[in-house]
Amino acid sequence: MFDNDELVQLVTETGQRLNHPEFSGYIDDIGIDAVRALYEDLVVVRRIDSEATALQRQGELGLWAPLLGQEAAQVGSARALHSEDFVFASYREHGVAYCRNVDPTHMLRFWRGSTHSGWNPYEYRMTTPAIIVGAQALHATGYAMGMQFDGTDGATITYFGDGATSQGDISEAFGFAASFNAPVVFFCQNNQWAISEPVSVQSRVSIATRGRGFGVPSVRVDGNDVLAVIAVTRAALARAREGSGPTLIEAVTYRMGPHTTSDDPTRYRSAALDEEWRLKDPLDRIRALLESADAIDDSYLAAVQQKADDTAAALRRGCLETVEPKPMSLFDNVYAESHSLIDDERRQFAEYLDSFEGTDA
Amino acid sequence: MHTVKTFLLPDLGEGLTDAELLTWMVEIGDTVALNQIIAEVETAKASVELPSPYAGTVVALHAREGTTVNVGSRFIDISVESPDKIDSSPPTPDLPHTADRTPVLVGYGVAEESTSRRRRKVGTGTVTAPLVDRQKEFPGRPLASPPVRFVAKEYGIDLAQVNATGIHGDVTRDDLERHRNTASAERPTPNSRESISQAPSASISAAREEERIPIKGVRKHTAAAMVRSAFTAPHVTEFVTVDITPTLELLARLRETKHFSDVRLTPLALVAKALLVALRTNPSLNSHWDEDANEIVVKRFVNLGIAAATPRGLMVPNIKNAHTLALRDLALALSDLTTTAKEGKTGPLDLSEGTITITNIGVFGVDSGTPILNPGEAAILCFGSIRRQPWEHQGEIALRSVTTLSLSFDHRLVDGEQGSTFLSAIAHILSDPLSLIALS
Amino acid sequence: MSTDQSTTTPTILPLGKALNAGLRRALENDPKVVLMGEDIGKLGGVFRITDGLQKDFGPIRVIDTPLAESGIIGTAVGLAMRGYRPVCEIQFDGFIYPGFDQIVSQVAKLHYRTSGNVKMPITIRVPYGGGIGAIEHHSESPEGYFAATAGLRVVTCSNASDAHSMIQQAIASDDPVLFFEPKRRYWEKGPIASDAASTPLHKARVLTRGSDATLLAYGPLVMTALQSAKVAADEGRSIEVIDLRSISPLDIDTVAESVRRTGRLIIAHEAPVFLGIGAEIAARINERCFYHLEAPVARVGGFTIPYPPAKLEEYFLPDVDRILDAVDRTFTA
Repeated sequence: MFDNDELVQLVTETGQRLNHPEFSGYIDDIGIDAVRALYEDLVVVRRIDSEATALQRQGELGLWAPLLGQEAAQVGSARALHSEDFVFASYREHGVAYCRNVDPTHMLRFWRGSTHSGWNPYEYRMTTPAIIVGAQALHATGYAMGMQFDGTDGATITYFGDGATSQGDISEAFGFAASFNAPVVFFCQNNQWAISEPVSVQSRVSIATRGRGFGVPSVRVDGNDVLAVIAVTRAALARAREGSGPTLIEAVTYRMGPHTTSDDPTRYRSAALDEEWRLKDPLDRIRALLESADAIDDSYLAAVQQKADDTAAALRRGCLETVEPKPMSLFDNVYAESHSLIDDERRQFAEYLDSFEGTDA
Repeated sequence: MHTVKTFLLPDLGEGLTDAELLTWMVEIGDTVALNQIIAEVETAKASVELPSPYAGTVVALHAREGTTVNVGSRFIDISVESPDKIDSSPPTPDLPHTADRTPVLVGYGVAEESTSRRRRKVGTGTVTAPLVDRQKEFPGRPLASPPVRFVAKEYGIDLAQVNATGIHGDVTRDDLERHRNTASAERPTPNSRESISQAPSASISAAREEERIPIKGVRKHTAAAMVRSAFTAPHVTEFVTVDITPTLELLARLRETKHFSDVRLTPLALVAKALLVALRTNPSLNSHWDEDANEIVVKRFVNLGIAAATPRGLMVPNIKNAHTLALRDLALALSDLTTTAKEGKTGPLDLSEGTITITNIGVFGVDSGTPILNPGEAAILCFGSIRRQPWEHQGEIALRSVTTLSLSFDHRLVDGEQGSTFLSAIAHILSDPLSLIALS
Repeated sequence: MSTDQSTTTPTILPLGKALNAGLRRALENDPKVVLMGEDIGKLGGVFRITDGLQKDFGPIRVIDTPLAESGIIGTAVGLAMRGYRPVCEIQFDGFIYPGFDQIVSQVAKLHYRTSGNVKMPITIRVPYGGGIGAIEHHSESPEGYFAATAGLRVVTCSNASDAHSMIQQAIASDDPVLFFEPKRRYWEKGPIASDAASTPLHKARVLTRGSDATLLAYGPLVMTALQSAKVAADEGRSIEVIDLRSISPLDIDTVAESVRRTGRLIIAHEAPVFLGIGAEIAARINERCFYHLEAPVARVGGFTIPYPPAKLEEYFLPDVDRILDAVDRTFTA
């Protein structure tokens, strides 16, 4: 299953169900209602993304990294997780955060520059957006080793992009995970682009091949096929839980939007390529699947829309009502235990602020 | 109830300062929904669609298509129909420099530098967090800042003997000064002329009858220089009285000419010129006795010092390379020198490396004197007042302008013949200034 | 065998073995402590600091890792997040750099970044310094890079007793600690004080009292400083020697108190003088003790060159002569 580059697909671009000998079994339990719920997830995640983009254009956020086009890869994998699993993300996994029940009101404060971390990672068992590319894969591996030492059947999943696979830390993570048989799922969203560089610059072989090179069983999946993604992720997690060690999933998808709101993709890629991938849109095919199963009606669509609107409103409200940090909080939490240099500086800065008219430090 | 909300153009990409408005997608009066695209703008990085932050009616558009809009400037006004509980401008913290930042919420871009200091509260000390610890107990060693230690060392003062009044328990500069003054004050004054008539017990009344001025600054320096000079170089002074009328006549004529129209031409200028010319054939008057090197240094250049009374006391600034100056330039230099000295702005460079000096006592109405050499120099010429006096002129007695020149010289460097020759050469030029043509 | 503690002779151990004993105690006291590094398991470490520990505690508590410093530190981050207390060994000072990003971007910042939700109780042990006639990259003094990074604690032991107690204190700290071990002193024997743990981890210690000058050193140069003071005493000069012990946080109070008495400070470290720890201390003492100083603070350290080949090492490292020369200069300033 994990020894070749065949692209696993269970739903075609036009919404037809396919059967796969090895992976179909993993979604036997997913009936039409579950698919309707998944479709709602996809719509809401897309809406979160567009609302945040709008907020950035309205000056409420400094930056936003859009996930447009990658909804299925994120929703599919996140919905495969158990609650005790731990997610080590990069900076684009807003869809995963939604599925981990991260409160939308917490999601944007990092992008607003109000905090370095929008939520308590332990509360949702998911890390907050991380900027250093690839570092999180090692953290996920270490955490998984800890789970293994504890004798639980939890697993970790770590998300990174195609660009990240060039970083040394990814290779080291593969190496450590294989050596220690760690229960970690490496989930690479190969969205074809690392800012302006196509994936061919990062790797001359498939990303899955690189995982296999380290002795990590690896599979390629159609990242825009939410059912296929659930299936392979469940398979990988099962391997982890049973003590068979790490798996690499290369989810082939496409970053339909810019790298971030500061990026201009028209400078490095063609509209034709974008259009090619628009035809593989992850939401369209599930909608088509539901329509052909006669499982869609106006009231359902209205409910989905409502959920999207409500989530977007919560997102916006959380953003606009952010309580901005106070100056003295500069010195909070540098260390867990008291540190004399910090104490001195905090005291001196407080005195300094206090010496000015009209401040409320 | 309507509130008009103004949308300010935000920083669209981490530090951009403006954008070009390409197209408006709405018009005044249009109803817009939240996030509806209202305009397309182009930034340095990309072409960007702007979604409306408000739902309502467009009441004003603040930019024209095709123009550049600055980040933070008003962009569009939208009348919001129901009072929007959510203010799109959450309260920014009461930070310093808030007023100086472009009022954009995030993606701040570069904040402006503040151009003034914030006001401190009344009663705060001028500084917070002192650099130096305030100690309550002091070690057995004296405390002092590095400069004070340096000065103490220079003067050979033991800091431990000095009463320390600094806030750190340290000896201050003033403490040192006081220590030195008390130390010298305790010595008896060498020449108290009143000592015969005044008994020591009359010191209380004496305090009212005399004024005590601390010896310091320029006076101290000048005094030291005088002493050095007077007691090192054997001084000889010679005098000559000259009928200087032709010089005054020449000066009067020169003042009328265009060449000297903007110059203050005084007799001193011509005295200086005469001296400079006379030096050419009498170089010993422009030399220096180098005791340490055991050499006499004859200088081929003349830095002509002019004794000047300044607000700080007597100083001798010099004109560098005066021997190269034509009369006009010499007069200008003299003028500058005098002005600078009167303003108290004479600098150390002006005061150093003089080779010969003129002192003009004539301005005080004094005829002649026995000037003391500027230390390191061989000669000093004293120029007295010009008087109308009966004098022998072409066999008759006539009222002529007469002045006395007094020349002191260092007899180690200049012998009587040289000194006399030099002085009479100057006198000759002044009595017959046209002879300069032959001598130049 | 007497049971009266006060008459028991303190154990005498070489510094390396003292570390070993301290690590053993840490493993015994807290089941969450895990050691990880290259060759620390079967081999017991290239300096035998972890000798015998894997045998007694098993391969899950004492882990031989792949040869990858970033991997070691990065997986330690994950383990710490899972509730473990990892103690990473970097085999030699010069090899810490591949792990630099994980240390300064992740380990140092996670607590701050997550508003205290995530703790990083990681200890990173680094044999450092020269004087062992080694080949390139095995004699570095990189403590400055880490002391300059907010969020990290940096300490260094100079003797067996401190090695034994400080390693345990470092491991017990909920903050990340860079623990620099003076490798050329690994074989120096010293008594393990029974009350050593009563000295807080971040406190400097006055080793000998003196009145003429304060000589401050840390790690491998503490012994050299003590020797210098002895020689100076024969020459009639009374020098107070301080072992700094902790670089971040800095116990500047102890140093200032000493300088106020002596009026002179000389700082010695193997790391280059330029931008070394001595510069920070000199600046602070300059502020705090401005009026007490008889002379400028003097610093002795390496030159601004990469660490030289073994044959030139003795000229690079501060020795008794270089240190006393600096002391002399504070008397003729």
